[in-house]
Amino acid sequence: MSYRTFSEAKQSYTFILPLIIFILAFILLPVVGTFINSFFRDISFLQRKFIMFGNYKQLFNDPGFYGAIRFTILFIVVSVTIEIILGLIFALILNETIPFRGFLRACVLLPWAIPSAISARLWELIYNYNYGLANFICIKSGISTGPINWLGSSVGAFFGLVIADVWKTTPFVTIILLAGLSAIPTELYLQAKVDGTNFLQRFYKITMPLLKPVLVVALLFRTIDALRIFDLIYVLTHGGPGGATTSLSLYAYKYYLAGDFGYGSAVSVILFVISFTLSIIYIKLARFGESGI
Amino acid sequence: MIEERFKSVLIWIGYVFKAVFCLTPFLYMIVISLSSSPDFLTKLGEIEFSFKNYYSVLTSKSLHFVDYLRNSIIVSGVSAFFCIIIAGLAAYSITRLDLPGKMLILFLVLAVSMFPQISLVGYLFKFMSSLGWINTYFALIFPYIAWILPLSLWILVSYFAQIPKELDKAALIDGCTRWQILLKVIFPVAAPGIFSVSLLSFIFAFNEFMFALMLTIDYRSRTIPVGIALFQGLHGEIPWGNIMAASTIAIIPVVLLTIIFQRYIIQGLTRGSIKG
Repeated sequence: MSYRTFSEAKQSYTFILPLIIFILAFILLPVVGTFINSFFRDISFLQRKFIMFGNYKQLFNDPGFYGAIRFTILFIVVSVTIEIILGLIFALILNETIPFRGFLRACVLLPWAIPSAISARLWELIYNYNYGLANFICIKSGISTGPINWLGSSVGAFFGLVIADVWKTTPFVTIILLAGLSAIPTELYLQAKVDGTNFLQRFYKITMPLLKPVLVVALLFRTIDALRIFDLIYVLTHGGPGGATTSLSLYAYKYYLAGDFGYGSAVSVILFVISFTLSIIYIKLARFGESGI
Repeated sequence: MIEERFKSVLIWIGYVFKAVFCLTPFLYMIVISLSSSPDFLTKLGEIEFSFKNYYSVLTSKSLHFVDYLRNSIIVSGVSAFFCIIIAGLAAYSITRLDLPGKMLILFLVLAVSMFPQISLVGYLFKFMSSLGWINTYFALIFPYIAWILPLSLWILVSYFAQIPKELDKAALIDGCTRWQILLKVIFPVAAPGIFSVSLLSFIFAFNEFMFALMLTIDYRSRTIPVGIALFQGLHGEIPWGNIMAASTIAIIPVVLLTIIFQRYIIQGLTRGSIKG
């Protein structure tokens, strides 16, 4: 018997080993490497040199870095708020018994499923000053009298990014909230109907309180995801005009691209620390006490 | 009665808005890809219908579209395949074999899935350079497998946990090894789970951008998202028709998979992000 359990334990290690090796070698090791690198002056063609907190000191006096932080926070606040509200509305609709529900679900998934780089290219064309769809709609519907300079002005670029991001990620929020909605027992609604409540009352008294945990999870998950935004911005605005839409990821990338790995690593470390803190909160809220595995 | 009618009107407005909101950009993409110039909106909607964009994207050697597509399919397919095997083994170990510290491993893996990619990519670039793997499939496949593993593991664990342990015991008594049980008992029973993980892994790898941008150089290993993002015209003007034709072709596999298997994708996504 003891021989059996011994071999069992050994086997359980062998089965999990490949996963551990991959995560260690291609994720944890690179993160540690980035941490170590952030304490070095590490620029292509120059002697690598340990400079302690030199990169960080430079970082805290760097207006570009503060600009990237400001943009990233503003982007998260605006886009995640819209996504949660819109996602909730979409989920409420999908939760009703409506015709062609499958069709609508597929519609919702499509923007999520395609590569962000491709959707960014598509939005770049939509925002085209001369013949893009966005200006066509804005002018025809009377929202704007002349063409809007979407990607050439900092406000236009900001909202251009927000709209494209909302289009791409609302589906994900919808799916998660829909799962939360379908877990609410229908008897509650029936009982409340018998009691003579209207649907707004039912929404505030039943749906919202019961959906709250799932809403918080969706909110945190989207925040963590929006924090590292890169693909969309890289393709759509390249951080411009004049650095107005440079996210933290893009800021770090620009230093990597220029061959300054030490400074790029320091920016990445800051982003990592913020993101990791949020992840821990998320894990505690979403998974804490989960058992049955 | 009035309330019910009001509600159903609201639902229908939302329905239409949602369908229009999600699909209009796709329709625009297809229309541009099929018209000879991208500015048909300014010409009072007159479209000169032509397949020339598709023809040039598929035949032009200098655009390398076919190369990018091939690279993407190979890299995503291989990554998804190995990801299933590795995540399957690990999920089996976690749900069946009484692995010590399994909760720690699950939470660690979950935390890993939220790391910003930028905090790995600088080091990965140096690492892959030192191995001489930059601009090869290996430079993408290894990080992709690691990158997709967390989600796959969580989904598979939630599927495997539902399979009764008696099945394993019966198979053990019949003299099967654990490896045989996994392949012949668990994988078939958890087929919907395996399937949704394969789909999601493929889609995630197919869509990945930052690693591919940093770790590839040209058509020999560059994938579709980077290829299309860096697509430039020869004479300054952006070749929108070509880009939209390339995008349309590139998203066909993903779109078809999504429409046909939406149920599995939704199941997988919900299990991967809220507790199953």
